[in-house]
Amino acid sequence: MDLKNIPKLAKGEEADIAFVLEGTYPFIRGGVSSWVHQLIVGLPQYTFALIFLGDRAENYTEMRYELPDNVVDLSLFFIMEEGSPPQMATHKGSKPLFNRIKQMHNSFQKGSEIDFGQIVRMLIKGSAKHEPITHADFLYSEEAWDFISKQYETNTSDSSFLSYFWTIRVLHIPIFVLLGAVRKIPKAKVYHTVSTGYAGLFSAMIKSVTDKPVILTEHGIYTKERKIELSQVSWINDAQEKFGAGLSDDFSYLRRLWIRFFETIGDITYKAADPIITITEGNRLRQISDGADAKKVSVIPNGVDLQRFKKVRDSRPEKAPLVIGFIGRVVPIKDVKTFYRAIRSVSDQLPDVEAWIIGGEDEDPKYAEECRDLRSSLGLDDTIIYKGFCDVAAVMADVGVVALSSISEGLPLVILEAFASGRPCVATDVGACKELIEGATDADKALGAAGGVVDIADSEGLADEMIKLFDDADYWQQACTSAVNRVEKYFNEDGLFKSYEQVYSTALEK
Amino acid sequence: MAGIGFELRRFLKKDSYLGLLQAYGCAALISSGPWVLSIFGVVAIGAFSIGLDADVSIVTAFLISVTYLIACSIIFGGWVQLMFTRYISDRLFDKEDHVILPNLLGALLMTTVGSLFIAAIVWPLFSDTSLAYRLIMVSNLVILSNIWILVVMLSGLRNYNLILGSFFIGYGISVFSAISLRGYGVEGLLAGFAIGQSIMMYMMLALLVREYPAYTLISFDFLGRKKTAFYSLAATSVVYNFGIWADKIMFWMNPETSEAIIGPIRSSFAYDPPIFIAYLAIIPGMAAFLLRIEADFVDTYDDFYNAIRNGKSLSTIKRIKAEMIDTIKSSVLEIFIVQFLTAMTIIYAANKILDYMGLSQDYWSLLSIYVVAVSLQVILMAINNILYYLDKRIITLNLAILFAISNLIFTAITQHYGPAFYGLGYMGAVVLTTIVGFIVLSKKLEKLEYETFMMQK
Repeated sequence: MDLKNIPKLAKGEEADIAFVLEGTYPFIRGGVSSWVHQLIVGLPQYTFALIFLGDRAENYTEMRYELPDNVVDLSLFFIMEEGSPPQMATHKGSKPLFNRIKQMHNSFQKGSEIDFGQIVRMLIKGSAKHEPITHADFLYSEEAWDFISKQYETNTSDSSFLSYFWTIRVLHIPIFVLLGAVRKIPKAKVYHTVSTGYAGLFSAMIKSVTDKPVILTEHGIYTKERKIELSQVSWINDAQEKFGAGLSDDFSYLRRLWIRFFETIGDITYKAADPIITITEGNRLRQISDGADAKKVSVIPNGVDLQRFKKVRDSRPEKAPLVIGFIGRVVPIKDVKTFYRAIRSVSDQLPDVEAWIIGGEDEDPKYAEECRDLRSSLGLDDTIIYKGFCDVAAVMADVGVVALSSISEGLPLVILEAFASGRPCVATDVGACKELIEGATDADKALGAAGGVVDIADSEGLADEMIKLFDDADYWQQACTSAVNRVEKYFNEDGLFKSYEQVYSTALEK
Repeated sequence: MAGIGFELRRFLKKDSYLGLLQAYGCAALISSGPWVLSIFGVVAIGAFSIGLDADVSIVTAFLISVTYLIACSIIFGGWVQLMFTRYISDRLFDKEDHVILPNLLGALLMTTVGSLFIAAIVWPLFSDTSLAYRLIMVSNLVILSNIWILVVMLSGLRNYNLILGSFFIGYGISVFSAISLRGYGVEGLLAGFAIGQSIMMYMMLALLVREYPAYTLISFDFLGRKKTAFYSLAATSVVYNFGIWADKIMFWMNPETSEAIIGPIRSSFAYDPPIFIAYLAIIPGMAAFLLRIEADFVDTYDDFYNAIRNGKSLSTIKRIKAEMIDTIKSSVLEIFIVQFLTAMTIIYAANKILDYMGLSQDYWSLLSIYVVAVSLQVILMAINNILYYLDKRIITLNLAILFAISNLIFTAITQHYGPAFYGLGYMGAVVLTTIVGFIVLSKKLEKLEYETFMMQK
């Protein structure tokens, strides 16, 4: 990787807070990344280290954010790069240590308590009597073979052993990479992971070794999203597909194995982290039902810099400008195609309408190409206009309505930015969209709806809501006012900073 | 979402790397098969010549000269054969037929240059022989070395009929032309031998050229790619072949047991004659070996790896492994029975055979011992071959080293104790190596699934 001027802590130095980031900031744009950036900039009194976990170095070659001055360290780890595999040699492996590993897996399967920290320390440092368990032990020892083959026979004795074997191996690569990486992390007083998953697992490992507090902020529910992803992927060869029983009510064993893996590392993260923070009430309940201790879980919603949007907010026109803003990257999760179909319907009613795509097309070029083709075939080449990345605060003055057609979201920043600009939003019912547009609590709901919410992939519903806002100036004005009131009351950036200052100072005192 | 959108599929592709390229060895055939056939031909030339009017001393010089040629070409050229076979079987497995012919030509060229190099080194030692003798010997060395390569190639293709056919015609011509040229002394016999052998060489080459497509003329890829793997094969071949000849060489070099024949070539009249007869005893065992190991075992071996590759359950894989082990057991048992009966028959008839060959009855015990030894060697060959199939190269190398060293030591001991013990050194080495090989093989089979799966990067 050719990255210049990566900040590095000098030996013996320590950052206040280390973010543990999986596939996000500062290399990938998105809501989580923006939030991290916002928090670092907004809390200049702290120094931050960034621990970035990626799959392979080749996928992260360019930083998408300019690192603020209070970022004192950036360390990168690539969990799917094994480096050179350890020397291959048959050996027995240590029975007592493998017994301990077996106990750990048992506890994962049965949900019983186990001292995860003690096992991590054993894996990294060994115990008084034994050498540590290494990646080589996992890969090549007879003990490991016995364990893997017995697990197979107990759990799924008639499926392809080859697939099972490689699944187990692949599943464990990141674990050993991360165990090896624990020694190399920048020193910090507090570790703050922004998801469960590998970042969460890594934080739990760090905690076991350094005994520093770990904070978890979960935007989307990682485990849930992995489950959805895993239920769709085709790379898992399982017997069910071969026998055409894919519609069965159960996942195949290997799929379940992957899901259980993510559930397990999610659980490990929930146990290690305190406090556990999320951005919406819905997510909080989900975390608790997934096993997070209710006493540790709280909600800190995202915030937006109201000052930045003051100008556009204060100069609201009488009637909605005939421009629909779509703010986001052109990627499948945003379901851009549904948005285009909705525009077709809006354009039928309001021929002068324009739709601006404010965001990049470079992340998934194939999908972007398909979207352009759809634009042409719908005859919308003059209606849908690609603007690329722009300053949202500047472009919003010309926009009447912001639309969001995503199939999955956390708490989308674009809605907050639309609200801060005094613009209503029409969105699909995903993540916190409904809470944002219609209000979460009774007091919040009393502020009124700031737009409309429709089902996923409902292009007609989306079109109807947009047309309603354009047609009825009074309704639009009311929605704009609700948007401003809601964002000022609940999603002010200052509130976000205050909350995290509180969280950090508590953790730093521990 | 926060998280890595990695594609784990990239890893699951490792399935196809499952290091199961087959070691289509026929390694045993390489070291022993063809030259057993050669002994027939050479002995036939000798017998016919004497039967007509040739001088016994000239025929003896011819026989011993050819023996040296065979030993030399096998010990020094065998490694090319083994590396080449391994390469060819891998390429055939990958269905890359077009690389075979260029590499064959590469191997032949290398063998030719290597043989000439060896000839150049020993050339001065032959200064008291005639120039014609020296030139014909060099030609024969080059031809024989190349023939082994071609035989290896044909064995790898399991084209045993072609091998037998070529040998039949080649040796027919050799016998005929050698007899015709017997008036020119040892040079005449060797020249006649060379004529038949060269025709045989070109015949096999022509068949192979016709068989395989090629885009390039010559290639040395067979030396490259996975270097360490190939070097261990090469070392195994040299050491193993040296092991087979070690006792004979010691008897040739020991002045008490040998005499000079021609130039630096020596022969051991106390040792050589019955040994070459004894080697003919392995033919029934070789046939059993071909049928059982190269057919039955290979079938279950394929089943085993196919079961893994095709995603069968572990219990199925284990069951097929058990079948494979049963096949190995019954194959070895069958070879044992066949060789036991052969050895018993030869020992029973030893007196008559010695009489018929015009040899002294003093050779009886050496012949009997050697027949038992070479019979066991077929089993060792089978074990070695299975180990090659299982890709246990380091083990076969160690077995070869054990075999060579024990043969040297045991033979030295028997030489010390006198003629009654001759042959026991070789037999001891074969017995020791076979037992060790058997133990190691059964250990490896026991842990076969473990090593097959876990010993992958």
